[in-house]
Amino acid sequence: MADTDMPDFSGVKSGASSTAMKIYEVVSGDSLSKIAKREYGDAKLWTRIFDANKDVLKDPNKIFPGQKLKIPPK
Amino acid sequence: MKVFCASFLALLLVLNIAACGKKETPPPAAQPVVQPAAQAVVPPVVLGVTSVNLGNAIGADKRVTVPSTSFAKTDTIYAAVETQGSGNMTLKAKWTYHKGDKIAVVNENSQTIAASGPAVSEFHVSMPSGWPAGDYQVEVFANDKSAGVSKFTVK
Repeated sequence: MADTDMPDFSGVKSGASSTAMKIYEVVSGDSLSKIAKREYGDAKLWTRIFDANKDVLKDPNKIFPGQKLKIPPK
Repeated sequence: MKVFCASFLALLLVLNIAACGKKETPPPAAQPVVQPAAQAVVPPVVLGVTSVNLGNAIGADKRVTVPSTSFAKTDTIYAAVETQGSGNMTLKAKWTYHKGDKIAVVNENSQTIAASGPAVSEFHVSMPSGWPAGDYQVEVFANDKSAGVSKFTVK
């Protein structure tokens, strides 16, 4: 039961970013463009993520849940 | 005969002086043993949090432009976490509201970084309907260990 004496913070929006390379763990339903949209606000920047992960990605359309991808700083 | 003896003595004297004046070549000085310079081994700096600053805006370097602990109801509140060292680390920011001895969790967010030197990571929260006035704090965790608490107020 919610404490009516305390404010409701369900509408809070949050975000995070870093000057360092971030590590992102792929979840089900992800694509590089979805990740780029979330991280950079622009799905077209998926190539930036692909380029940073060419050591583990051969095909940009094949990523799998649990895979850890490097996300370059915005 | 006297002349001969005198000449002979004089010759001996000259030879003796010459012999005494001759400097012997000193033995070559022992070459100092040159030890190969020890390789300067710089231990890797363990990745750790060095500071947390709050503000209502950040620059391109992710640092807050003006550190503050007092915010307006419409502010976006940023926590800039500075780290040093290299390696991977999961940073988490837990924002809470405090009223008396009651605590409400405002937001929790985390990001994993792969640092190769000094870095700044930011977390931010906003509330479109406006922050309730009161006392808040943000606790930053580095790999699930608390790296510090920063208190602030909304007026």
